[in-house]
Amino acid sequence: MTADPLHARLLVVVGAGGVGKTTLAAALGSVVAADGARTLVMTFDPSQRLKDALNVGRAAADQFVRVPMAGQGSLDVSLLDARATFDRLVARYAPDAAAADRIFQNRFYQHLAGHLAGVLEYMAVERLFEVAADGGYDRIVLDTPPTRQALDFLEAPDRIIGFLDSGALRIALKPWFTRGGVLRGGAVRQRVAGWLDQLVGLSLLRDMAEFFQAFGPLYAGFRERARDVQGLLRDRETRFLLVSGPGEERVADTLFFARRLRQSGHHVAGLAVNQVHPVVPGAADAAGGVGLLAWLGERDARGIAHLRRLVTDGTPVADLPLLPSPPTGLTALDALGRLLLERLATAGPNRRSPRRGKRS
Amino acid sequence: MLGDRELIVVTGKGGVGKSAISAALAWGLASRGRRTLVLETDPRETLHRLLETPPSDGVVVKAGSRLWLQNARPQQEIEALVRRRIPIPLVGRTVAASPVFHHFVEGAPGLKELAVLGHALRLTRGEAGPDVETVVLDAPATGHGVSLLAAPLLVADVIGAGPVAELAGEIAQLVRDPARCGVVVVTLAEEMPVQEAIEMRGELERRVGRSPDGLVVNQLYPPYPAGVRGPAATRALWRDRRAVNDTELLRLRAAWDGPMLEVPLVAAESGPALVGVLADHLDPWLGRA
Repeated sequence: MTADPLHARLLVVVGAGGVGKTTLAAALGSVVAADGARTLVMTFDPSQRLKDALNVGRAAADQFVRVPMAGQGSLDVSLLDARATFDRLVARYAPDAAAADRIFQNRFYQHLAGHLAGVLEYMAVERLFEVAADGGYDRIVLDTPPTRQALDFLEAPDRIIGFLDSGALRIALKPWFTRGGVLRGGAVRQRVAGWLDQLVGLSLLRDMAEFFQAFGPLYAGFRERARDVQGLLRDRETRFLLVSGPGEERVADTLFFARRLRQSGHHVAGLAVNQVHPVVPGAADAAGGVGLLAWLGERDARGIAHLRRLVTDGTPVADLPLLPSPPTGLTALDALGRLLLERLATAGPNRRSPRRGKRS
Repeated sequence: MLGDRELIVVTGKGGVGKSAISAALAWGLASRGRRTLVLETDPRETLHRLLETPPSDGVVVKAGSRLWLQNARPQQEIEALVRRRIPIPLVGRTVAASPVFHHFVEGAPGLKELAVLGHALRLTRGEAGPDVETVVLDAPATGHGVSLLAAPLLVADVIGAGPVAELAGEIAQLVRDPARCGVVVVTLAEEMPVQEAIEMRGELERRVGRSPDGLVVNQLYPPYPAGVRGPAATRALWRDRRAVNDTELLRLRAAWDGPMLEVPLVAAESGPALVGVLADHLDPWLGRA
């Protein structure tokens, strides 16, 4: 297994929505578990079929559910619940129960927890950190949320740190309102707040100000935690598998994302082009479904060739065939996972000596 | 008929072909004589590739004789909103540039979505560029799509009073009115997208108080006829993928109460040829030329 480019303690599966990330994460988890590792797969929103395949139900929400399987290792699955993770963090870093309660009761928090961009993404890495620090697993596979911007996930810790470091926060942290609910403060703040009042009314401002005050004592803990999470994602023992769909029009996005991952100090262990239509020999002029599949096969082959030409840094590119129907059991998942590992191992590092990153 | 609405919101799970369907709806309406603009909000632009124009980069681009496209930037629309509501330009700029404001915009739930819908409304009134009759909005993926449509209600509820609350109320009215606003859900006949489409319907009814107008089942493999010839592996893949489609179509027919259009997988790259074929398939919903 030394040839396995994904051999790392943490494996993060990233990519755009609808490319099969969750299935591949489960497939990899089942392979490493069967090979003897104590394994955890953390996922967001698996299909019913996948839940059936792994034999986990809603019970796995924010819990660890053991998947029954043969072999020496073990496979646990956990479905991420962003709100529960956020609540747990608030409870942990609040100085006392009353402070935590003030946040839970705040109208702004209630809306924010579900809506603020990046919260779901951040909670995923946060949860990963919790589990990794716990040390109960040899291998952890993290499926990432289905965002249209896969980068959102990666930038979440940086954004939280930026947010916590921003002057805006310090301004917001100041007591804007007197106990009686009257706006106070200097001329500039008065004026800006005055215009905001005109725009949105004071009641929302009051909710926000209350929220930030209640949240104040938690900042130091949150900030430190976000730094740790950021470090964990960039650790050598954390590898990323980037999954994309087939077709030439996806190549630019895939390359862009791989480059961004690397530039920000993450370790990309491989690219998987998923759901590739097979090439149909001698069917260029065929009509109906055969003709369509021939066209799709040719389109996908062109896309992969294009991608391989442009990936020049030795990152292995594996193509995975479109399956006749989605995998419905551990056996099928296992086969898919093994195919992926085998294709990554034979695809690279390319014959030329792989270039190592700047970081050692 | 979708053809007489002010706003058509196209939504669905990631990777189901929302942008192509949005472009096709807009193109179809424009070719029937209706002045139409198709709007997207994703920083990675796709519409310009489908309609063969230069990228929008935030501004309105002409894409045909009665057709325009735009990649709207929510932040930019919010700032424009502030500048309009605060009549003194310098103060408007100061407010928009202040960290408190920036922070507020990032944190306040629903504000960006409201700004995008507000922009669409202004477009239909000829206040924000070409005077168009219909705006087709290529909405973010499902979860976000319902959030987008629920945003005006949420904002109106959270804010209560003031000009933004007024705007939110006005847009909430538009979004809930099936005579003025159409909602089209796009899906593939595969398990996860179908699940999300069905959940989306419930969410929309619960959070916005209306139903979608129709469901586009996109990228269907053609039916597998008896006696077909060709390589065995290819025939098997075709048969099995179509069987997945059939299973999910059955599930949809049982769970989806409303119009449904089946659109085949088209052998064409992203571009005007694909848009044209898709528009033909959407014809039953577009009304007369």
